[in-house]
Amino acid sequence: MMAESKFKILANGILKQNPTFIQVLGMCPTLATTTSAENGLGMGLATTAVLALSNITISLVRKFIPDKIRIPSYIVIIASFVTVIDMLMHGFVYDLWKTLGLFIPLIVVNCIILGRAEAFASKNDVFSSFLDGLGMGLGFTASLVLLGSVREFLGNGSIFGYHLSDVKMFAMILPPGAFIALGMLAAFFNYLGIRRSKVKKAEK
Amino acid sequence: MRDYLKTGITLMVITIIAALVLSVVYTIVEEPIANAELGAKLKAIREVLTDSDTGELLIDEESIPQTATELAKFEWLPQGFSPSEGIIYRTEDNQGKVESPAYKFVKEDGTEIFIAIGIAVGYGGDVKSMAAFVKEPDGVKLNGIKVLEYSQETPGLGANIANADVQKRFYPVSKEGLDKGIRVDKDAGVTPVGDQIDARKREDGIVTVSDVMTGATITPRAVASSLNAISEFLDKAGVR
Repeated sequence: MMAESKFKILANGILKQNPTFIQVLGMCPTLATTTSAENGLGMGLATTAVLALSNITISLVRKFIPDKIRIPSYIVIIASFVTVIDMLMHGFVYDLWKTLGLFIPLIVVNCIILGRAEAFASKNDVFSSFLDGLGMGLGFTASLVLLGSVREFLGNGSIFGYHLSDVKMFAMILPPGAFIALGMLAAFFNYLGIRRSKVKKAEK
Repeated sequence: MRDYLKTGITLMVITIIAALVLSVVYTIVEEPIANAELGAKLKAIREVLTDSDTGELLIDEESIPQTATELAKFEWLPQGFSPSEGIIYRTEDNQGKVESPAYKFVKEDGTEIFIAIGIAVGYGGDVKSMAAFVKEPDGVKLNGIKVLEYSQETPGLGANIANADVQKRFYPVSKEGLDKGIRVDKDAGVTPVGDQIDARKREDGIVTVSDVMTGATITPRAVASSLNAISEFLDKAGVR
């Protein structure tokens, strides 16, 4: 029973409460970084690391922080982790840091992180918060990779740099393509969700 | 009153701990960051020092700098130039700049090779390119380039300048081509095709990019201006 509920917390972020397609959180980095599958993966993993670490920390200190200053405290904690990740990436994975460059500092204002801190980590124990952060992060990463792959395939005829077709619709790589692809995918996933809940209702 | 004090102190403690953590991490990664930056620069130097026609290195394997101190030995400051704010030369129209320091390598047979980093404004910010110019008996030619900084360019369009095949369209350029000035095909008003692509670039300085970078003209134009800035700088330094 116990293990099952923990697993639910982890799986929740990946499918049922997927941050991008269902909760529609963190749209700024989602739209901006998904020009290719690789960029999406890098951004997703960096966000996952920040999300898991900040969830752990916030859950640890949740009892010491007065209610009035919880938002500024969370921001300080999140911003510190983002800066740490930025510096580590700069030093150790230079090429990826170069391509993501501008977007790493943007993780600070990604509302998924503050949202999970406020909605989950500030109310739950450390391990559950870690799982929640990990699940949400992986769900975010999966959506970014999917969106990045679709856009890279349609716009550049490749996925993860592997050449697949010669059809290149540049618009898909530019900002309008981000909105179009995101809208289509979100519609598709919501359609699946609605259909599933209807089937469940009918069974009852 | 006690309440205010308590919240203030809590916030202070949190920020102090955050600052401490950051300073510790910074001390740890300071060296790897410097190494990564230097590594990228040294790799670029090696690339532009490769002969663009034969694919062989222009200078001995051992003479290629591997560390910051070795690289510093090749720094070159021509007479009459004084770098300010990291810039050694600005073109008159202020379109192109040359970063300080520039480097000079000498081949065994006495041939001089000049390497400099040119800066010009692209679509969203500065585009930096490293270029190697070889002083041959019949004049200075552009041997190779490597675009170093393009992070503000549009992903999927201007940022395609990172592609090595795109960068190859910019070199080599002979003395005649440099005299005429490097420009993209759109600005030159002609679109060379087939064998003409290489010939027009080499002899006339016309860089064909409209086929490999469709829809992005500003970024390659910035690279062309930065190369012209270096060429102008070498001219003023009395090399050409």
